[in-house]
Amino acid sequence: MIAGHVMRRRLGDAGAWFVGLVVLIWTLLPLYNMVLVAVQEKEDVFASNVWPPKPTLDSFVVVFTEGYWYLEHFWHQMGNSLFIGVAVAVLTLFIGALTSFSIGRLKVPMGWLVTNTALLTYVIPMSFLAIPFYRIMKSYGLADNPWSVIAVEVTFATPYAIFIFQQYGASIPRELDEAARIDGASPPQIFFRIYLPLMAPALVAVGTYALLLAWNEYLYAFLLLSSDQTITVPVTLGKFLNSDEAPWNYLMAASIVFALPPLAIYYIFRRYMSAGLTMGGVKG
Amino acid sequence: MAAAPGNPALAAARGAPARRSGSVRRGHGLKGSELSWAIAFLLPYVAVFLAFVLYPVAYGLWLGSSPKSYSALFADPIYAETVVNTLIYLAVGVNVKLFLALLLSGFFMRPGWWVKALLLIFVLPWAVPAIPTFISFHWMLNGQWGLINNALWTFFQMDGPPWLDTPTLAMGSVITAYIWKWMPFWTVIFLAGRMSIPRELYEAAEVDGATGMHRFLHVTFPLMANLYTVCTLLSTIWTLGDFNSVHFVSGGGPALQTHVLATLGIRDAFELGDPGMGMAAVISALPLLVPLVIILMRRLSKGEVQL
Amino acid sequence: MKISSWRAIAAAACLVGAALPGAPALAAGQTVTVWWNQGFYPAEDQAMKDVVAAWEKQSGNKVELTFYNGSDLPAKIVSAITTGEVPDLCYVDNGDFLLLGQNTWNDKIVDVSDVVETQKAQYSQTALTAAHLYDNVTKKRSFFGVPLKQQALHYFVWKPMIEAAGYKMEDIPKTWEAYFDFFEGVQKKLRDKGQRVFGLGYSLATKDSDSTYLVNQFIVAYGGAGLVTPDGKLHADDPKVREAAIKAIAKLTKPFKEGFVPPGAINWGDPDNNSAFYAKQIVMTPNATISIPVAQMEKTDQYMKEIATQSGPLGPDGKPTTSLVSVKLAFVPKGAKNVDGAKEFLKYLIQPKVLDAYLVAARGRWLPVMPSMAKEDPFWTDPSDPHRPVVTHQELDGPTMPWFQSFNPAYADVNAEQVWGKAEANVMTGGMTPEKAVDIALEQIKADFAKYPVPAQ
Repeated sequence: MIAGHVMRRRLGDAGAWFVGLVVLIWTLLPLYNMVLVAVQEKEDVFASNVWPPKPTLDSFVVVFTEGYWYLEHFWHQMGNSLFIGVAVAVLTLFIGALTSFSIGRLKVPMGWLVTNTALLTYVIPMSFLAIPFYRIMKSYGLADNPWSVIAVEVTFATPYAIFIFQQYGASIPRELDEAARIDGASPPQIFFRIYLPLMAPALVAVGTYALLLAWNEYLYAFLLLSSDQTITVPVTLGKFLNSDEAPWNYLMAASIVFALPPLAIYYIFRRYMSAGLTMGGVKG
Repeated sequence: MAAAPGNPALAAARGAPARRSGSVRRGHGLKGSELSWAIAFLLPYVAVFLAFVLYPVAYGLWLGSSPKSYSALFADPIYAETVVNTLIYLAVGVNVKLFLALLLSGFFMRPGWWVKALLLIFVLPWAVPAIPTFISFHWMLNGQWGLINNALWTFFQMDGPPWLDTPTLAMGSVITAYIWKWMPFWTVIFLAGRMSIPRELYEAAEVDGATGMHRFLHVTFPLMANLYTVCTLLSTIWTLGDFNSVHFVSGGGPALQTHVLATLGIRDAFELGDPGMGMAAVISALPLLVPLVIILMRRLSKGEVQL
Repeated sequence: MKISSWRAIAAAACLVGAALPGAPALAAGQTVTVWWNQGFYPAEDQAMKDVVAAWEKQSGNKVELTFYNGSDLPAKIVSAITTGEVPDLCYVDNGDFLLLGQNTWNDKIVDVSDVVETQKAQYSQTALTAAHLYDNVTKKRSFFGVPLKQQALHYFVWKPMIEAAGYKMEDIPKTWEAYFDFFEGVQKKLRDKGQRVFGLGYSLATKDSDSTYLVNQFIVAYGGAGLVTPDGKLHADDPKVREAAIKAIAKLTKPFKEGFVPPGAINWGDPDNNSAFYAKQIVMTPNATISIPVAQMEKTDQYMKEIATQSGPLGPDGKPTTSLVSVKLAFVPKGAKNVDGAKEFLKYLIQPKVLDAYLVAARGRWLPVMPSMAKEDPFWTDPSDPHRPVVTHQELDGPTMPWFQSFNPAYADVNAEQVWGKAEANVMTGGMTPEKAVDIALEQIKADFAKYPVPAQ
């Protein structure tokens, strides 16, 4: 029996290695193509190269030094993206958690109505609500204002946050709330001391979702923002699609650089995802 | 937590009497300050909803309400094929993506630094902006000079298939690109879900001699089932509006044979200059959407997970 | 480039000194909101900013100028027109294809005849015809756009590849059939040498605009220019038109089936033929601007010696082909807050010297719509430049006609629906004969035109 156990584990490990390899290649192949384009001349998009013959970091230098006219305000726009992304993540998490706490834990009357109505947000896909949003942002006086994009992203991310928090929250025993209540804790205290910490994995997952949704948003940023000072990086990258001719290497280099901050943020917070595991000891 | 009648091992592990929670509070309304807090907590979202959902959605529905838009839409020769493509895209894309995400979420639970490092790489498709990655796919899949066929030629002396030049392969390529981009996101969601499952449940199952598959079927799956269903429904609804994958990878070609409702709608709205028709294209999916939304509502009201 | 930046500075100096003939009828102190298509080079945008600055100084008004990228600006304009929140002045490169015709039809655009009148004598007839659009609410045909610049189809060839196949550039035939067959021969010779290349690199896709431009130009070349007449009427049943379309579709698809066009061309986006050309995977490619050499202007070998720009062969009837010209129009949406301001600015912009300076800054990517410019500014006929004189001669001296959507916006729908691209695909992969494919396409076109009934005029 023991030998069989070890054998099973070895096979399991080998299988895991294989799966890992497949996942690695699968994930990296298109990204490798981007890197390939980024380190070659722009004409070599269709050159039949599997390895770059003369790789150069020129494109990345151009991106970092804002040395191409489409990229003139790259870092400022990066800052805009960061501001909008973080604001959206924080607001989505906050509003979403409050709402799902109220409905799921405090059992507010008619809570189901709020959840169901929130679904209305998804009846028409985001890309098609662009024209109406364009209009209302003007009437709210938010034209060319990052808060217009923040508002749109929070609107689309929050219902999802509410739904997911409700699913996760269902696995947190209600006895904890009751124990705290008996001890005299008020709802805000339960919210901050019990609910949020136990929801940590969900908060990280949904927060990353909201951040990336806002980070990579193109259509709404393009429609609602106009000046070079307010637009975000995806809009800047979209400028490369202005014609049939563009320095594709700069586009790919800029995209790669642009992908790094959310990764860094995710990396910092990902520890909190496993917090759920250790907290498991507290659960009923 | 409520324990289901049918699982004595788990109930015993928890040492909890059956059917305890919930019933204590049921029948008691919220009182006084708790009620005020509950309502106060709801206000932010209600405000967001009233300011930013009600009007746009109503306006959108109004834009797509003229019958003329629908007759124009149905008269479009590619409409029928577009609907079929959309259904295939949803059925295959969403389900394969979520199923693989579920499996991978199990994989990423494994210990080891290399697994954690791999997760960080795996998340890259989600982090990198969509348009450049899909353009990269478009180039990568070029039948003559794309990376894939170049590699096939260099390593295996094989002429690779024309990935974007036949309708089936092009549709497959689009679905693959779509899965590539979004699978990491759902994997992370499922991973967080798995991490929320208390460890004692697994330990109890192991004490009972459950193997990997058994553990999956009796512990993981029931707890994840509701989450998985909610995610499937939401992903279907979202994918209905997915424009970027088709537009940048295949462009709706070859010969307009890989269009989906989202790309058709955008074409109608902005290239034919008829926003009404564009909205109609998407609203014509409501007969599919509405049942999904209703099922989703039912699922969400099932707040507690039954074990 | 040194020369063009010197020219730009000189031009800017001219702009500042230029005075509007007669006093401006506009009171000072107003603001004009302008949405403009981003240029391809900083110099182009800078030239626009210079024009704006000069006008602001001279008129005492302010301009809020914003540049947007050309692939999404139509979405922004359509959103604006739909919601009524419009700027005062718009210019988008693909406006004539995508939205100007339909919106004029629906009475959403301001009549700018008074602007066009100020320079009417300068404009080419094609430019005037292209700007003369039909409003179905007022039932009037008038000037609803202000012509600024134009483009047409040209052919680009790699000299080194021709020579590697053992030919000289002079060997390229000047007659229709022989011209295209020649590149098939070049491909055969290069393949014999082991190069995996294709002789004809044109798009046959149902995507973007390259393939649409090519097939329509072929139809015109084969005698199908009567498909839509300037009064807006469709002549799909004209046997001459049908014949022309059949020949065009056949001529374009046959090489594809025989392997002289890359199989991937059935799904090429607009950048793809450029990329394939740069990678020297194709010997010849058509393109609707001279972006291909101009983008390589810094690589003097390529620009001066290796890339050749050609205006194409004589037509199948032995006479020069009529170039299908896309005239770029600026327009004023209805509901704009400052229509007069927009018009005054436009009047300033289209003064020949001002407009010329703007086009020169774009390195000649867009051609002038005023023949006098080509005659007066040596930039356009500079013999030391291998590309510009060719296209100037083709577009300003040669026979030209505007696109069909100027006559009737229904054709813009035909383009957006990729009707001809679908016909090509039906022949290439659908096993249809060109006759059948063309008949289906003409039926579709008739259905599109039924939505835009133009009364007898």
